[in-house]
Amino acid sequence: MGVFENKFQDNVVVASLDKLLGWARSTSPWFFQFGLACCAIEMMATAASRHDLMRIGMIPRSSPRQADVMIVAGTVTMKMSLRVKKLYEQMANPKYVIAMGSCATSGGPYWQHGYHVLKGVDLVVPVDVYVPGCPPRPESLIEGLLKLQEKIQSERPLTRKTA
Amino acid sequence: MTDNQEQLIKEAVEKALQGDMDAVNNIEDRVTRSKAKAALVKAKREAAKTSAEPSSKEKSEESGSESKPAPQSPNQQFAGIIASRFPKTVDEELSSETHIQLQSEKWLDIAQYLRDDPACLFDSLQCITGVDLGEDVGLEVRYNLHSMTHRHVIEIRIACAGKNPKIPSVEAVWRIGDWFERETYDMFGIEFQGHRDLRRILLPDDWEGWPLRKDYEVQETYHGIVVPKVKEGWE
Repeated sequence: MGVFENKFQDNVVVASLDKLLGWARSTSPWFFQFGLACCAIEMMATAASRHDLMRIGMIPRSSPRQADVMIVAGTVTMKMSLRVKKLYEQMANPKYVIAMGSCATSGGPYWQHGYHVLKGVDLVVPVDVYVPGCPPRPESLIEGLLKLQEKIQSERPLTRKTA
Repeated sequence: MTDNQEQLIKEAVEKALQGDMDAVNNIEDRVTRSKAKAALVKAKREAAKTSAEPSSKEKSEESGSESKPAPQSPNQQFAGIIASRFPKTVDEELSSETHIQLQSEKWLDIAQYLRDDPACLFDSLQCITGVDLGEDVGLEVRYNLHSMTHRHVIEIRIACAGKNPKIPSVEAVWRIGDWFERETYDMFGIEFQGHRDLRRILLPDDWEGWPLRKDYEVQETYHGIVVPKVKEGWE
């Protein structure tokens, strides 16, 4: 680490605060536990012992106040879309959204004739990662979560943004 | 279609009706072959109709002349019971062995009678279905009734025409009718008169339109969320 290298004793790590924050945030993104359709079954399977989300630091939280990541797992109806938006607004910053499955990304099989289905959850909340599949296998979801972790790590929350 | 083609199809269908399907199958042109097959199906249906009609008439005449009537389906049996008890309520022409077609006016009284009369005892309303039969016919509500005691089942159909269809509610007779009628109201906009809590049940309260009607138009926005209508480039 440049000029600071070997200046301190053992057990002292030098890092930029941006990177440290990114590391802390990305390695424990607690996810909001709610499922809307069949994708929720795969999400549950992902969280269960065989795929074990806890090894990448993810724990389901039942309250939006305690969650960092919202996994929209399933078909979002028009009626539900207002609730999803409200739940997203209740989460504390920084917050991230994963659109899981084709329904949450684009309306999926309801694209053409589902009069009551929201055509993609990105119409109501900003989405960070889209996971394709109908429903996606746990491996796909984990891939999406790892991509999200990369994204969180690459953020520079303390760096001033220049236009 | 050329005359030559028509002639070919006619001959092939005639042969096929006599049992020689190869005549149709061996037509080389694909379009002509499919047309011949369609013509064959049509011809077979017509043949079935003409053969079935006289035989059913004969049967009814036979049963009329004999002392023992032919076994009736529960629907025909109860159509008779309702007609004798409530005159001018059963539409005989549209009723059949699969269902009873009723007028809507006395439906509540009939429902009460069907539930309480010891010979009927229809204590279970199993389903309410709404049907949109198109512009000419209009909407229709179908009730499936079942008796736990007698184990007989009937289907009752009641037409409700017009832009603002109304029908008496049977929610007070069968308690389960509450949600069934709310669902039918939600999807078809049929007003169940006398229902104590007629609200939408699946869609949000501020939804516009009746989704399962044939003339339904999807609303363009819902709470500012755009509902895309034209989806070009799909499929």
